Amino acid sequence: MLQCIFILSDSGEVMLEKQWMGKRVDRSICTWFWTQARSSNYDEHSVPSVLASPTYYLMNIVRDGITFLACTESEMPPLLGIEFLCRVADVLADYLGGINEDLIKDNFVIVYEVLDEMMDGGFPSTTEPNVLKELIAPPNLVSRVLSVVTGASSSLNNTLPLAMGSKVPWRGDGIKHSNNEIYFDLVEEMDAVLNRDGFLIKGEVYGEIHANCRLSGMPEVSLSFSNPAILNDISFHPCVRYKVWESNRVLSFLPPDGAFKLTSYRVKGLKSTPVYVRPQLTFSEGICHVNVMLGIRNDPGKPVDSIVVQLPWPSTITSVDLTANHGTVTQNHGTKVSTWSVGRIPRDKSPCLTGTLKLQPGLTKLPHYPTLLVGFKIMGATLSGLKVDKMDLQGESYRPHKGFRAVTRAGNYEIRT
Amino acid sequence: MESHNQLTSYLQHSFECCLLVSFCFCVLLLFISLRRSALLLSFPLSICFLDLLTHSACVRSIMNADNRKGELADLKTQLRQLAGSRAAGVEDVKRELYKKVISYMTIGIDVSGLFSEMVMCSATSDLVLKKMCYLYVGSYAKVHPDLALLTINFLQKDCRDDDPMIRGLALRSLCSLRVKNLVEYLVGPLRTGLKDNNGYVRTVAAMGVLKLYHIAPSACTDNDFPATLKGLLIHDPDAQVVANCLSALQEIYTLEAASSEAALKERELLFGRPVIYALLNRIKEFTEWAQCLVLDVVSKYVPADPNESFDIMNVLEDRLQHANSAVVLATIKVFLQLTISMADVHQQVYERIKAPLLTLISSGSSEQSYAVLSHLHLLVMRAPMLFSSDYKHFYCRYSDPSYVKKLKIEMLTAVANESNMYEIVTELSEYAANVDVAITREAIRAVGRIALQLYDVNAIVDRLLQFLEMEKDYVTAETLVLVKDLLRKYPQWSHDCIAVVGNVSSNTVQEPKAKSALIWMLGEYSHDMLDAPYVLEGFVEGWAEEDSAEVRLELLSAVSKLFFKRPPESQKILGAALAAGIADAHQDVHDRALFYYRLLQQGVEVAECVINPPKQAVSVFADTQSSEIKDRIFDEFNSLSVVYREPSFMFLDKEHRGAYDYSEDPAAVSLVSAPADLVLPSQSLEANDNDLLLSASEKEESRGTASNGSYVPDFLTYESSSAPRSPSPPLQVVANRNSSIGSAPVARATTAGRTSQAVSALGIDDLLGLNLTFSPGGPSLSLKLNSKPALDPATFQRKWGQLPIALTMDHSFFGQPLAALSGPQPLLRHMQENLIHCMASGGQVPQFKFFFFAQKVESPPGTGFFLVECLLNTSTASANVKIKADDTSVASKFGDIFRSALTSFSLA
Repeated sequence: MLQCIFILSDSGEVMLEKQWMGKRVDRSICTWFWTQARSSNYDEHSVPSVLASPTYYLMNIVRDGITFLACTESEMPPLLGIEFLCRVADVLADYLGGINEDLIKDNFVIVYEVLDEMMDGGFPSTTEPNVLKELIAPPNLVSRVLSVVTGASSSLNNTLPLAMGSKVPWRGDGIKHSNNEIYFDLVEEMDAVLNRDGFLIKGEVYGEIHANCRLSGMPEVSLSFSNPAILNDISFHPCVRYKVWESNRVLSFLPPDGAFKLTSYRVKGLKSTPVYVRPQLTFSEGICHVNVMLGIRNDPGKPVDSIVVQLPWPSTITSVDLTANHGTVTQNHGTKVSTWSVGRIPRDKSPCLTGTLKLQPGLTKLPHYPTLLVGFKIMGATLSGLKVDKMDLQGESYRPHKGFRAVTRAGNYEIRT
Repeated sequence: MESHNQLTSYLQHSFECCLLVSFCFCVLLLFISLRRSALLLSFPLSICFLDLLTHSACVRSIMNADNRKGELADLKTQLRQLAGSRAAGVEDVKRELYKKVISYMTIGIDVSGLFSEMVMCSATSDLVLKKMCYLYVGSYAKVHPDLALLTINFLQKDCRDDDPMIRGLALRSLCSLRVKNLVEYLVGPLRTGLKDNNGYVRTVAAMGVLKLYHIAPSACTDNDFPATLKGLLIHDPDAQVVANCLSALQEIYTLEAASSEAALKERELLFGRPVIYALLNRIKEFTEWAQCLVLDVVSKYVPADPNESFDIMNVLEDRLQHANSAVVLATIKVFLQLTISMADVHQQVYERIKAPLLTLISSGSSEQSYAVLSHLHLLVMRAPMLFSSDYKHFYCRYSDPSYVKKLKIEMLTAVANESNMYEIVTELSEYAANVDVAITREAIRAVGRIALQLYDVNAIVDRLLQFLEMEKDYVTAETLVLVKDLLRKYPQWSHDCIAVVGNVSSNTVQEPKAKSALIWMLGEYSHDMLDAPYVLEGFVEGWAEEDSAEVRLELLSAVSKLFFKRPPESQKILGAALAAGIADAHQDVHDRALFYYRLLQQGVEVAECVINPPKQAVSVFADTQSSEIKDRIFDEFNSLSVVYREPSFMFLDKEHRGAYDYSEDPAAVSLVSAPADLVLPSQSLEANDNDLLLSASEKEESRGTASNGSYVPDFLTYESSSAPRSPSPPLQVVANRNSSIGSAPVARATTAGRTSQAVSALGIDDLLGLNLTFSPGGPSLSLKLNSKPALDPATFQRKWGQLPIALTMDHSFFGQPLAALSGPQPLLRHMQENLIHCMASGGQVPQFKFFFFAQKVESPPGTGFFLVECLLNTSTASANVKIKADDTSVASKFGDIFRSALTSFSLA
């Protein structure tokens, strides 16, 4: 079981430690870990998430430059540890409104309190953010102001969370809202790899349905899709009844109160991409000529928005000179990444990026070709084509407000050159 | 008065500080501290300054020792002043001070000196203050066990608070003090805690029992806490309480089982049907983490019949759709374990778990996908066909970290088959142009591995050869090594390959491995490569600059081969190479050069027979990891072993040395009169593991020592590395010539596997005229053992501790009696007939451990003893023997006697 967790800053300094077992783990392990992370053959901040040190077995995750490091001495399921660390990071980000060195140092008491509740005796206990927030109030501006004004303590609720002791672990008894409403967000991310000829090597859509539920009592919600067959693999929040899904392909659940992730799914074997990007690199006399064309390939029915193309150049170029006929081009000289923000594709012309790169003297071509990363957003459409058919509510007499939104984003959308 | 003095001195001090730091800096810090907490405005100036300074200390972590001492002393005074105060707003001041103390603690400064003051201030109703206090006390109670007593009072009081949350928190802190002499104060609150009407408190109490057990096992068991937990396990309405009871009981019984029969039975009951069913029936009520725990317990349950297995799988099927990857993995483990003996269902399970696993690797964070991929790798190795159509999931993403990419490339290699090979190789070729050099190398190696695995390599060879045209040093280097391996397996490709390799400029090849590969090809195919002599000549001329012995060794062989094929052009080169080789400082190089030189003296044909015999293509390259190890890792699915790709004993071993170490200490094994009971199944398994590990490493060792400084083994390893599994004809001829003398006695003493090696080694020794004397009667003639040695256990133990290990042996046998050995007695009797006596024995099937001793005949009392530790594994039919001797000069002879005694037992 996990013995302790260390939170390290991006310079390797131990910002916080929390020990759960009688046998304390010495901080020196962090030094070992940090040298390991520094000296690894891999790129920076890229040590494997599970490591064996001479004394402990370490699991680590890195979020926004902050390392969460857990130690154990005994055999355990590695994913239990990693999954827990991810949860810690998520919960802290939620509590503090992000993760960075200052936020953690300023709120270390909260962090301690949260960690204390999330694990006991080396085994994860309460990690559900909704429940945790009832145990420990997040530090927000209002409560801080209040505490200044009234002088009262506030970072802790005095009542135990409702869900504790309730028969349904994720929902407490006696929830009341004056406006009964439930909203669903379908968020899809498209992962695609295209080769230099524009041929789709691999394409998949990962989708999530987020719900924000503010319903009174014990409502039974059922959600059905018009084309559930396209879902390749689907995983559910614990509240979803699997048997109903198996037989009727309907999501039937007693929702938790507040925001939660209802399901996540995967749709594979996508044949088309919404956007095409055609890069061309030609070389002559130490100069690389760049030409990138961009356009809509398969109209998704809604406008494709916020198109951004990132061009990470190798470090062996000395200068970049790129211009676009639409949108703006910015250049980060430290990381050698050019970013072309296209926005929405205009009707009258097709966006094009042209320019030259100067190579280091002696080179005739790039040592390796860059991979272009493309970002976009499509509001109101799902690329997988998943459609919600209807939503019903039973068990309560009121008629709730309900709403659905869909958005597709580029996930890992890369174009090889 | 005193405090006044301190205050003034402090102000003076801070004034100096302000002078030191620039004014701007001071203002800046002040600004930060003010923004941080508006509260501070209302505080006295001193506190404000204090905060300013401590804050800067926190931010920059720079604070000299004097300054810090001053800080602490000041905090101490302030806390002391606040202790009795009941003034309004005192809580806020306290809170700030506590915060400061905790922040010191957080950045690693020892603030244990404030313990008594902190405790004195702990009487409060403020929850945050309480929590900070609990945190502080929990961290330092161990350092101040005497002062920790002070905290008991207020913690016990809090345990009776009206608020269940405070009760829970206080109980948790009380249990986390971990001070042995305070255990008595713990029992009462724990007992009431377990009966508390609030689930939260019971949850904490259940975990508290485990903590109590860790501090004082007897206090825990004497108060019947495990029995109480057992009751809660079945009947408690709160699922989290059940989960905590389960984890506590599991650990307590497992640890207790080492010393008590009853606990062992309890542990079996815990994994028995009633408990398992009770847990499975309410699996959905548990939190995701508790589900992992339950699933882990279920995976240890052995169902009575297939129907039961199916029932369990039906109940758990929806767990595969859980959003938490830990739950999914734990479920998969249950499924795999349940169906392990039902081959067809097992395949269906693979089909069923495929989709969730593939989702996990692509949708989670890279850290998660790394761990999932490790598990997937294990499955892929067992069922490559299953994933061969999903190979695209293992394509690397640009944003994947290197360690994930590396694993994905391995997966691509594993799933490659005839139908997807072309696409996979195309994809891998993309990575060969990667930014990351390590990944580039992996990708090229993967292409090579696929080429070696599959028959249809036409397209792949083209790809590999294209790599050579990329003109990057490391790409060329990797590719050369692969082309060499490829040619060893598919000599028919030599023409295509040689044409391209011939174009590689030898100057661009720097890495020893690549250089050796290039030289090997130049030597092997010198008849097809026109400029081979000139290239090799260049290498020979650079002999002095060549750092790697590996390259120089390869050069000697290559130049010789060249000489056999194109003598007129290369005689001079060979002469130069041999001269350089014989003058070489490296032993192996020197030896090989001398050896070739002498072979050549015998005649060119003879030399060619030995150095460059006709070779057969390699059919299978030796696998690096044995299937036994793989199976073992598979049994440990969903554990760290899978990620490390080593069975857990390999890396957990040292941790458990303390508990399980009986390999070094004879006293830990029961004496003959009280056999076997001490070693429990779990331990014997551990010992078994130990042994496996040991024997593997020691085999390495013995091989290493064997090749020290003589031509023969070096020659053998060399030939086996260039053409394994096809012993070259001349060796066999020589061996046959000698077999009439050599093989009979050797075969008697060793097993079939060793015979051929021993014989051939003997043959070459003879060829070189080393005049090996070999007495046909076996070695036992020269050493006789005392039939009635006298040695008492204490002396044995003392001697065992003092003497160094004279000899270690690994021995394997094929005989029936050994495999069927169910107790130590038969072997003991047999050994006694061979005048080797037993001091102690222990273990159970399949792992036994013996301590033997014997004495040289006619040696004075108390000397001439041989002490033997023998680890016997009947399932692998192997023995690991450690011999210590008073007289080390005859240790090896005794070793032969011991071995032949063991062998004769297995053949009896």
